Amino acid sequence: MFSYYLKLAWLSSKRTWGMSLLMVMAIALGIGAAMTTITVNYLMSANPIPQKSDQLFYVQLDAWDPNNPYFDNGDPPDQLTYRDATTLWQAKKAPRQSIATGAAGVIEPADKAALPFMAQGRANSADFFPMFDVPFLYGSGWDEQADLKKEFVVVINSEINERLFGGKDSTGQTLRLAGKDFRIIGVIKRWQPQPRFYDISTGAFQDSEEFFVPFSLMAEQVIGHSGNNNCWKPTGSGFKAYLDSECIWTQLWVELPTQADVQQYQSYIDAYADEQHKFGRFARTRNNQLSDVMTWLEQREVVSEDASMMMAMALMFLIVCLLNTVGLLLAKFLGKASEIGVRQALGASRRDLFLQHLVESGCIGLVGGLLGLVLAWLGLEAVKSMYGDWMAELAVLDLNMVLLAILLAIGSSILAGLYPTWRACQVQPSQQLKAQ
Amino acid sequence: MLSMKNISKSFATDNVVTHALRDINLDLGEGDFVSVTGPSGSGKTTFLNIAGLLESSTAGEYWLDGEDISKLDDKGRSRMRNQKIGFIFQSFNLIPDLNLFDNVDVPLRYRGFNASERKKRIEYHLDQVGLASRMKHLPSQLSGGQQQRVAIARALATSPRFLLADEPTGNLDSSMAQSVMSLLEDINANGTTILMVTHDNGLAARAKRQIFIKDGHAQELLQGQQHPIHNLAAV
Repeated sequence: MFSYYLKLAWLSSKRTWGMSLLMVMAIALGIGAAMTTITVNYLMSANPIPQKSDQLFYVQLDAWDPNNPYFDNGDPPDQLTYRDATTLWQAKKAPRQSIATGAAGVIEPADKAALPFMAQGRANSADFFPMFDVPFLYGSGWDEQADLKKEFVVVINSEINERLFGGKDSTGQTLRLAGKDFRIIGVIKRWQPQPRFYDISTGAFQDSEEFFVPFSLMAEQVIGHSGNNNCWKPTGSGFKAYLDSECIWTQLWVELPTQADVQQYQSYIDAYADEQHKFGRFARTRNNQLSDVMTWLEQREVVSEDASMMMAMALMFLIVCLLNTVGLLLAKFLGKASEIGVRQALGASRRDLFLQHLVESGCIGLVGGLLGLVLAWLGLEAVKSMYGDWMAELAVLDLNMVLLAILLAIGSSILAGLYPTWRACQVQPSQQLKAQ
Repeated sequence: MLSMKNISKSFATDNVVTHALRDINLDLGEGDFVSVTGPSGSGKTTFLNIAGLLESSTAGEYWLDGEDISKLDDKGRSRMRNQKIGFIFQSFNLIPDLNLFDNVDVPLRYRGFNASERKKRIEYHLDQVGLASRMKHLPSQLSGGQQQRVAIARALATSPRFLLADEPTGNLDSSMAQSVMSLLEDINANGTTILMVTHDNGLAARAKRQIFIKDGHAQELLQGQQHPIHNLAAV
């Protein structure tokens, strides 16, 4: 009977094509608006490293101003001082740990005809690559010895490799960066976690870095820092004083595979804060947090309230569109009362009629959903053009979103069709047949 | 095959109870052809609707082909309508979007026949009413008489034992009416029981039995008895 109901739905829509078009448009507009915002929210709030997000922990300590908490809600600062981060990193209390900060430097192409250009990078320790499952095209990251020996090694991304080496395996080649020669030991594949969870201090949806160098080179001033740097008291003069200051500009991630590891590490950082308290630091000794990836992203409100509000408004708009569809379907189905009466007289049960009209509602929803997908695509293109490149990765309809849109459209139009269908099934055939 | 005992139907509004039918008793056998006449508003159509399971009575017993109708739910009544009863209406009630083939197909779909069985029945019954060559036409492309023939083909497609006709010739000119009446007589001659509501005393007289309804009361007229409508007209 399903194919029969499909045929009837087609004939019915053809007869009242204007009304059907209005319903399709109403659903399409609602779905288009909803899917545009849902997609952006979905990608913003997606787990960027699902395979191990519950094992990676961001470390926060509170060495900030005793009289003025860093965040109004009392959360510890979102970065660490260099001295705290390096102390914890050197203590090796976690199976893996990545100390890092943003870096920037000028790259001078070997081809003298090509102009030097500024590149954004990251200064990080060796564990960064295995901890975050960074995919390599050629070579690999460096080892702990390179960190300790402050080797001039660099990992570049595939775009830089393409630009400077035509995409060939460039490992072993030299890269002139920040006025120094670095040995390329790895080229990473395209890698763009969304959000860029490992460093959200300068925005959660920034592009991933173009190059990576050992963090230890930071202290040698081989490479320049790039990113947020906040201080609550004077740093003193000289770079050494800056490194020893209370300025926060480094990040520490630790990999803690078990709950016991987490508790152990928490005890360790609490003890560290207690110890520092004795030296007059860490006024808030127990404000130390270990947050796994998703907790960290939630805490820092990576999905902004504005985006959530937009989504709520878009869903409300969808509801308004559906209410309109309810009205139109009601008018349409009750306009078919005489046909419903005839069908009842010829042997259709209320269940038959109910299914027939639900299929019709579902078909309208399906067409509306498909059109809504086109509108959602246009909406996302508009979002991209309004917000620029950083939204490019967030404004993409993936298969999940396409399926969700179609299911949402069919489901909501069936929901919208329930009341009109129920009303249609209440038609008294005797009255309709006499009224003919 | 049809037995009604003390069937009554009343409609209640806030203050008024209207009795449309009162204590109707009727037994129809295999192959009967009964006409139902009566003045407008007498309850003829209500009677037909109850007989066709389109409405329920408010009192009385109704047995159709051995089944107590009062015990049937919506699904059971739908099944009975589909399998046992064929309907013919004054205004044909063809579905305008569907061509003749698909109109006749409607009750067969609900019966659950497979495609080849449906096709066979549709072609046979449209052929019987002389419209096999116009299967792909829409109802609006046919004359009134032709539309009623399609309605008859649709009513007969499921091979019902019982045909209900509500003013089947009411919207037709006299020659078409005669043609449709002859068709009904042929159908009856083949064993189908027919209950026909009509205003036309001439057509009513062609039935084997005649029932006259007035003010909700039914009276069976004996063979040769003068039709009470003449008396009413004379008053």
